[in-house]
Amino acid sequence: MITLRTTSVDETKAVAASVASLARPGDLIVLAGEMGAGKTAFAQGFAAGLGVLDPVTSPTFTLVHAYEGRLRVYHADLYRLERMAELADLALGELLDDDDAVVLVEWGDVVSAALGADLMTVRLEWVDTDEPDARLVSITATGDGWTARWPRVQSALAAWVAG
Amino acid sequence: MLILGIETATEQVSCAIGGHEGVLGLFEVARGRRHAELLAPAIEFLCRQADVTLDEIGAIAVDTGPGLFTGMRVGIATAKAMAHALRVPVIPMTSLDLLALPLRHADRLIGAVIDARRGEVYHASYRQVPGGVQRVEGPAVGPVDDLVADLLATGEDALLVGDGALRYRERICAGARRVEFAEQWLAHPSAAPLVQLAHAKALREEWVQPSEVQPLYLRHPDAEINWATRESAR
Repeated sequence: MITLRTTSVDETKAVAASVASLARPGDLIVLAGEMGAGKTAFAQGFAAGLGVLDPVTSPTFTLVHAYEGRLRVYHADLYRLERMAELADLALGELLDDDDAVVLVEWGDVVSAALGADLMTVRLEWVDTDEPDARLVSITATGDGWTARWPRVQSALAAWVAG
Repeated sequence: MLILGIETATEQVSCAIGGHEGVLGLFEVARGRRHAELLAPAIEFLCRQADVTLDEIGAIAVDTGPGLFTGMRVGIATAKAMAHALRVPVIPMTSLDLLALPLRHADRLIGAVIDARRGEVYHASYRQVPGGVQRVEGPAVGPVDDLVADLLATGEDALLVGDGALRYRERICAGARRVEFAEQWLAHPSAAPLVQLAHAKALREEWVQPSEVQPLYLRHPDAEINWATRESAR
């Protein structure tokens, strides 16, 4: 696990852009954290890191947005889903496999067992109320794809590692 | 009675019109995965070329999976909307059955295998019976290795059909030797067997209302997503 500390929304976005620089087609990234923790901000920084020019907005009501950058990015939000059939309908696995895309899934941690073995999880948490924009960002990853890249992920994020 | 058949559960887009005379017309494109753009114009073209007007359609048959949801959604939504507008019933069909039916003269176990992505496949097995095939296992979804183990366990010669079988051909051959593979041009479900099978069902009035049609989910669709942490406050 990598644990980072960021002090502003822009820093969280910079972390996300750094992760994006190492992203490959077929990557699935879960964004976990309570409402307001910065999941969408992370997604915005990630997309910007891939050269996406269109505004990245919350997919809470639309479920999935698609963007074109260095890679195609699908940004999903599971907040409104109640049953597993609704998750199946989103066909996230198909988007990954067919379109050479990267998929970001807000609230994906509530269905992580259904998302497969190759997965990065980014968890965003508040640090303390004196610094409302500060965040603790915990990043873990499983699967061959990320294991091979892990040293590069660590060095790309070294500047923000929580002391 | 004329049946319009809609097939979009895999990469192939296929539509057909058939009835007691057999298949009157078939439109099929496997390349491009443009289900959303192709299907409605394809149906319109097919009807026009087969000289069939929509008011002659007595039922709409649609492949409800298992398969790829990105394509299946298009076919199911189209079938439901058209059936609702035409006030006709819908006949849902299973993709794997449509792969097996054309192979019904093969004198051995038939395994239909559709690629479910991420190393998994949808599969079912069939035996020849008078007039057709009977499903003996499945439909099920799981890792390719589980399918290989199942094939090995039967100890029988098998004929495998479907894009999943072809995609994982080497892995299957390495694990279970007594298998043959149907050709690529049989590897996608077609609307031709769809309307034939559906016609038989229509004669027995085995159909449903458009509102009752939904995809075949194999993974606990009604299981609730665990939102235990959703409402927790800062």
